[in-house]
Amino acid sequence: MTKKDIGAILKTAISLFLICAVAAGLVALVNTVTAETIELNGIEEANKAKSAVLPAAESFEDVALADGSTGFVGKNAAGETVGYVFSSSANGYGGKVGIMTGFDTSGAVTGVQILDIEETPGLGMKAKESAFLDQFTGKTDELKVTKTGAPANDEIQALTSATITSRAMVKAVNAARLYFAEVTGKGE
Amino acid sequence: MAEKKKISYGHEFTKGLLKENPVLRLVLGTCPTLATSTSVVNGVGMGIAATIVLVCSNICISALRKVIPSKARIPAYIVIIASFVTMVQMLVKAFVPALDQSLGVFLPLIVVNCIILGRAEAFAGKNPVLASAVDGLGMGIGFTAALFCMGTVREILGAGTFLSGIQTMIGSFVDLGSFNGFDFTPILEKLHLAPMTLFILPAGGFFVFGVLMACVNKIAEGKGLKKADQLGCAGCPYAAACGKTEAACANETEKEAAAQ
Amino acid sequence: MKFYIALLIMGILTSNFVLSKFLGICPFLGVSKKLNTAVGMSAAVIFVMLLATAATFPLNKLLEKYDLGYLQTIVFILVIAALVQIVEIVMKKYIKPLYNALGIYLPLITTNCAVLGVVILNIDNIAEYASQGVTYGFGHAMVNSFAAGAGFMLAMVIFAGVRSKLETADVPKFMQGLPITLVAASIVSLSFLGFTGLVEGLGLLG
Repeated sequence: MTKKDIGAILKTAISLFLICAVAAGLVALVNTVTAETIELNGIEEANKAKSAVLPAAESFEDVALADGSTGFVGKNAAGETVGYVFSSSANGYGGKVGIMTGFDTSGAVTGVQILDIEETPGLGMKAKESAFLDQFTGKTDELKVTKTGAPANDEIQALTSATITSRAMVKAVNAARLYFAEVTGKGE
Repeated sequence: MAEKKKISYGHEFTKGLLKENPVLRLVLGTCPTLATSTSVVNGVGMGIAATIVLVCSNICISALRKVIPSKARIPAYIVIIASFVTMVQMLVKAFVPALDQSLGVFLPLIVVNCIILGRAEAFAGKNPVLASAVDGLGMGIGFTAALFCMGTVREILGAGTFLSGIQTMIGSFVDLGSFNGFDFTPILEKLHLAPMTLFILPAGGFFVFGVLMACVNKIAEGKGLKKADQLGCAGCPYAAACGKTEAACANETEKEAAAQ
Repeated sequence: MKFYIALLIMGILTSNFVLSKFLGICPFLGVSKKLNTAVGMSAAVIFVMLLATAATFPLNKLLEKYDLGYLQTIVFILVIAALVQIVEIVMKKYIKPLYNALGIYLPLITTNCAVLGVVILNIDNIAEYASQGVTYGFGHAMVNSFAAGAGFMLAMVIFAGVRSKLETADVPKFMQGLPITLVAASIVSLSFLGFTGLVEGLGLLG
């Protein structure tokens, strides 16, 4: 290897190193600028979903659950407990369906919001529509899916040609109800 | 070299729109085109993100073209592109979180979008800064326009909507009132019709892309241009990374042309 | 065990990288003209995917430890590019027959979005499965990468067969070449839609 070769290798290495260093520096700079906003976005989104499923609550307190996840106790302005919010998930047709469910103190569902869904557009995705979601409101029992068109008190009318998605939703709400039972000792 | 040639900025800008449209003529960046064109808003969001990266990386690479040793140019380009992608990714996460959600893994994957590395290698590495910026802008707009066409067809046929979800994307910057896209489904329901879900599914993506490319071929034929897949190495998605197979690629194209 | 089988079925059939995730479309359209090149390319992709996952999955832990998660994209693409180069050099020197078979595909793989895609998706999966109470470790990531590569190979091989029939078909002039290829890909993708729900139906996941 001649001196010239070594010089060329060094030149390549140094210029690559400099480019990498400058690039990493710039990325780190943008990161410090945006990190806070990104974190706030996540918190804001979670808060929005929490208030949507339990409108009566003014503020939320964390409560640790046995399986390591976190539930939320909703309090009104006076600091009294008005309900609970739990996030849960189940497998649908195209992957995980993640939801957030609110309960009042008696165990009736106050609202369901979908956080994460990758179902078939036009079929399973219809689970996001309020016509389907509103069915859950007020339910107090462990739920089942029906396809008959005349749902009983403990039944949810399945979405047309999306029974698997409907079952996943019901399964996830039932899982949230188990969390409710765990926290309050009611309903088991 | 190209630098001695007189540069026409108008030409550098407009060539990306139709004649050398990266998606429909050069067949580059097919993955994001198919994956993110399920709706207009998604597709255009992807297009704008990629355009920003393309313009920035083109400027940067062109400015550094005399400093970057030619042996190490591909890794250097990759580092530059990857850092712009990361920056854009963070900005999108911070200011348009809905877009980050819907693009998912395709946002970081702009790094391997063949259009960007392709332009770096084919243009920015050999031309002055301003021309490279204009070239990047033209190509980026061509990419966005192709995504817009795909998105329009797929969204209207597949979901019965147009521009749906626009509120979550730009609602925080521009006051749109209560406008959140057009919804044709009530009209369809009255006619006892439903949107053809197939078009938003992957299969519909391939189909619309094929038909759109056929249309562009037809137009190009009328103008006496070559068909997309006969452009040889310029149309090869790997032209940038390939170096070594370039000769083989050209050979093959010649052989095929001879066979025809 | 169930989880491993679920990952395999998902990667190969239900969420096939090429036909339902749209990753690796460029080689899918570019290198699927002949069966032997299709197999060679896919074999190289499987190999690099496994290698890249083995390198980046532990590396991500390191990045996270030092709070550098935001450098993920840059680090991963550089690792993949370097790996491909090293593999090429080593193969050329020591495993000549393998190099002759896979060598020409290697430089193309750096810019293959399926490889960077599988590596990033593996990292995303950690959080995704953790929220369902399932640990997603190194073994799972490797199986997932293999499944993704095998799915890529399956799509390539099937499509090479379809294309060989297209060669002799009488296609209207404006549809010749890529347009008809894409429409054929659409039909192949449609047939894979039949597998959706398989994993859930077999009860392989929770």
